[in-house]
Amino acid sequence: MTDFVVAQFVGLSAALLGIGLFGILTRRNFILLLIAIEIAINAAVLNFVYFAGFATGPGGVSGQAAAVVIVGLAATEVAVGLAIVLALNRQRGSINVAEATTLRQ
Amino acid sequence: MDPVSWTWFLPEAFLLGAALLVFLLDVLGVEKLEAFGAVAVGATALSLLAVVADLGFTPLSFLSTLPPSVVDSGGGATSLYAFSSLGLVFQGVFLSSALLVSLASLSRPSHEKGAAVFYGLLLMATLGMMLVAVSADLIFLLLAIEVTGIATYLMVGYTRKDARGLEAAMKFYIIGALSTALSFFGASLLFGAFGSTNLLVLSQGLGGISNHSLALVGYAFLIVGLGFKVTLVPFHAWAVDVYDGAPTDVSAFLAGGTKKMGVFAFFLVFIGPLSILTVRAVNCTGTVCIAPYDFRPTVELTLGLLAIVTMTLGNVLALLQKEMKRMLAYSSISQAGYMMIGIAIGTAPALAGATLQILAHVFMKAGAFLVVAGVSALGVGPLIAQYRGLGQRRPYLGVAFALMLLSLAGIPLTVGFVSKFILFSAAVQASTVAGQSFFFWLAVAGLLNSALSVFYYARVLKVMYMESPDASVPLDGPAGDPTGGLGYGRSAAILLAVVAIVALGVYPQPVFSAIQAAATHFVASGA
Repeated sequence: MTDFVVAQFVGLSAALLGIGLFGILTRRNFILLLIAIEIAINAAVLNFVYFAGFATGPGGVSGQAAAVVIVGLAATEVAVGLAIVLALNRQRGSINVAEATTLRQ
Repeated sequence: MDPVSWTWFLPEAFLLGAALLVFLLDVLGVEKLEAFGAVAVGATALSLLAVVADLGFTPLSFLSTLPPSVVDSGGGATSLYAFSSLGLVFQGVFLSSALLVSLASLSRPSHEKGAAVFYGLLLMATLGMMLVAVSADLIFLLLAIEVTGIATYLMVGYTRKDARGLEAAMKFYIIGALSTALSFFGASLLFGAFGSTNLLVLSQGLGGISNHSLALVGYAFLIVGLGFKVTLVPFHAWAVDVYDGAPTDVSAFLAGGTKKMGVFAFFLVFIGPLSILTVRAVNCTGTVCIAPYDFRPTVELTLGLLAIVTMTLGNVLALLQKEMKRMLAYSSISQAGYMMIGIAIGTAPALAGATLQILAHVFMKAGAFLVVAGVSALGVGPLIAQYRGLGQRRPYLGVAFALMLLSLAGIPLTVGFVSKFILFSAAVQASTVAGQSFFFWLAVAGLLNSALSVFYYARVLKVMYMESPDASVPLDGPAGDPTGGLGYGRSAAILLAVVAIVALGVYPQPVFSAIQAAATHFVASGA
């Protein structure tokens, strides 16, 4: 593979990661934050699928397997996140992250 | 390697079985909290004994689950796990912290809800840490870290009624998910550069390397992602709020247990032949030919600078704290800096020193948090100033807490002194090699920071012993209770921690020689 092709694809997944990180840092609504987290994790999935195409031998299979496993992991993460959102919403009737400031700096 | 046998994973299986049993008992409507606690204590104690037996402690050899030929035999280019003796030492560290915390939690108020969830998650988190210690593949390693991560996010907020706990869980979750995304992105870049995620393949460049910049960027992402787990400055800010807002027993587990998991992940990825840093010459593959490139100086410098910044900032901010839990949290951050010294240097003595420091930190820091939990159950407030007179009113508890703080400060005759001494002398020793004089400054920074840390630990001692007690706080506990309101479980856990601190401080040789052998093997042949 040439460096140029790699740069194009990694640029795509890096942009995805960047969008996710930007969302994690700026979103105040917990649900939107969860979506941002999903986008950031999917950047890694895209990379694994892409690089698996180049790997010769057993490496290619392991790359695709890793992608599937990470998709499952991301679903688990979000399930836990939703549990925390539900408890937060019951507790204070709001899922705004910026309002949670009981713990002082 | 011997044919794989399921008995190798018996310690992990105990934990998994116990976690499932706890959840099952909860569903079946068992209401005796002691039952859950007994399952957790029993499973962690049994696993701990098995791991000690696997390390070659002959009197327990009947409990051994690993044939000696498997330990340190190394993993193949396709294996997901490998049993190294240093990994077994770390399994012992993780299990000790889980044992201390579950033992202390036996003394929780009997009306408290959610005890089954707490013990079940504690066991699952410990299982994840155990798997980190045997992993030989980057994906396996990151998934094991996630098992622990997901369990601990829930542990922080398990009470669900406590606003502070929930807020801490939320912050912990966001930061944890962020670090997951960054770690996996780093792993995917390394996969792109090397065509595999196996640590052996990464380390020796078995499949050749297609792109050095991909590898270097992948490494940077991994340092950041794992740095969040180890609370390296500048990725530390979450730790203070989480340790402060979490139920204090959970803080003890986070500071004493799960943080070390991140340190061992650093060991696996960055040290020894298993790390990519040893790739000194790379063959040309196909038409693409790239000059040999040595990552080691760059990564050593990065990790060394992170170590210095982490311990200094942690100590300075700890000095400024008025609340006990926040002070302990910042001190925990600075201790992570000491551990990073060992990783930056990466020689066998430094690794042994860092491992002893990690073992010591379980008893010092988890012990201190367990004391704080017990004291606040008596009605003492969160401020350091509210601990006044504790040493006079509760002499035994006072001595125990004082010993933990002195050990954290690194005073002789405690294990905190021994581990720091070994670590800093390893840094000086490594600096004599040409071109590595930088390591000398790591030792200097560590020593200066130890001196600085004495101030804030001594301040607590002064409050505890020199100021008169607050008469309005019922420090003595209910009348007729021999443990003075602490409960038997918590008293036993605190006693265990104090005995370990003093025993390892006075006579560290047996444990340290085992750690030394394991570290030498780890550096020489990898996991």
